[in-house]
Amino acid sequence: MCSSLLLQLDNLSCVRQQKILFSNISLQLTAGELLLIEGPNGSGKSSLLRLIVGLLPPSEGEIFWQGSPIHKKYQAYTEHLHYIGHANGLKLGLTVRENLQLQSLSLSLTKNISLILSQLQLTQNQDTQAKFLSAGQKRRLALAKLFLFPKRLWILDEPLTALDQTTQELFLAQLAIHLQNGGIGMVSSHQSIFLKDTIPIKNLRLGI
Amino acid sequence: MTLKTVWLVFYLELVLLLRRSQEWLHPLGFFIIVVSLFPLIFTPNTELLQKFIPGYIWLAALFANILAIENIFLADMEDGNLEQLFLSQLPLTLLILTKLCARWLVAELPLIFFIPLLGLLFNLSAPTVIILCVSLLLGTPILICIGSLCVALTLGLRQQGILLGLIILPLVTPTLILGVTCVQQFQAGFSILGPLAFLAGVSVFTITLLPWVIASTLKISYE
Repeated sequence: MCSSLLLQLDNLSCVRQQKILFSNISLQLTAGELLLIEGPNGSGKSSLLRLIVGLLPPSEGEIFWQGSPIHKKYQAYTEHLHYIGHANGLKLGLTVRENLQLQSLSLSLTKNISLILSQLQLTQNQDTQAKFLSAGQKRRLALAKLFLFPKRLWILDEPLTALDQTTQELFLAQLAIHLQNGGIGMVSSHQSIFLKDTIPIKNLRLGI
Repeated sequence: MTLKTVWLVFYLELVLLLRRSQEWLHPLGFFIIVVSLFPLIFTPNTELLQKFIPGYIWLAALFANILAIENIFLADMEDGNLEQLFLSQLPLTLLILTKLCARWLVAELPLIFFIPLLGLLFNLSAPTVIILCVSLLLGTPILICIGSLCVALTLGLRQQGILLGLIILPLVTPTLILGVTCVQQFQAGFSILGPLAFLAGVSVFTITLLPWVIASTLKISYE
């Protein structure tokens, strides 16, 4: 197995409620590559992402992380992974700061938290409970952990929903930096995502 | 490092529960009202009341427990936090255990604190109140563990409430019997060590093993 090969999907199929969502998806992602998953509603984008994260077992096929199946070394796999699903994974009763503490699992946040908060325009709300934030602000808060705790693999389900233009651009810029630093990205989206030409993007269309 | 993280998770869970006042107010209010209604359906005979009220308090605690745990995982499922728990670097069993501890502190311990007051209301003797408290102190962890397991089993079903009652109540019957036996044996003048030791044993057994079972069940019902 080639050492630079990081994530590999081998013949993945997903059957939910006796309906085949997708079958025989095989692809490889190496450092610096982005996989863009497109498709209409209900085509299985979220299911594919949840499969890759290991929240759903595949009906058929296998997922390899650095050459070994993910369920064999699951803890070592999730250590490298950021997953943000449809639900943001925020605790609505906790404040912005407390949510970040919970995500980092530490009281002392490592990186410069105020810089990230100001970039995401959340500085004024850092002691507001998450339930009082708008949908876009919640999404921004969910994305904050990507920038605060660097991990190699970003798996994001519709990251651009509810974000305004500035934050979308900020997110895309951060995504580009992440990829240039040798990270891997997997993003499902309705909208088309524009990055610099130098970044290799693989496209996967589901539901055709 | 791990201990610090567990403490943080526990602390934030507590903050969350205390901010949602219904989590501890509903079981407590329900418990007090149900117990205070009891004399109304009986002839106001103090001796009879003193004989029956400890068992009835246990029964009320059983019902209040259902209220206390019925949405223990619901918010986590809806806001996507459950997924993040599955992906967390901390063992899921440990996270579940912290959740159960926080829930017990917030929703069950206040019931026990109120028992001396209820004892005053029904003119129970001080030793009876103490034994009632001790039996509930040992018994409520069992109730919360078994209850959470049933919640995990029925996660994502509609009309979970009634179903939960139907599943939990038969499962906790042994706990009820042991707990009530403690008080009854004391009132009859026998030694209570036997049922108390049994209750403590079952309590330790559930606290150590059930979080692990709950974690596995959660994973299965989440898929």
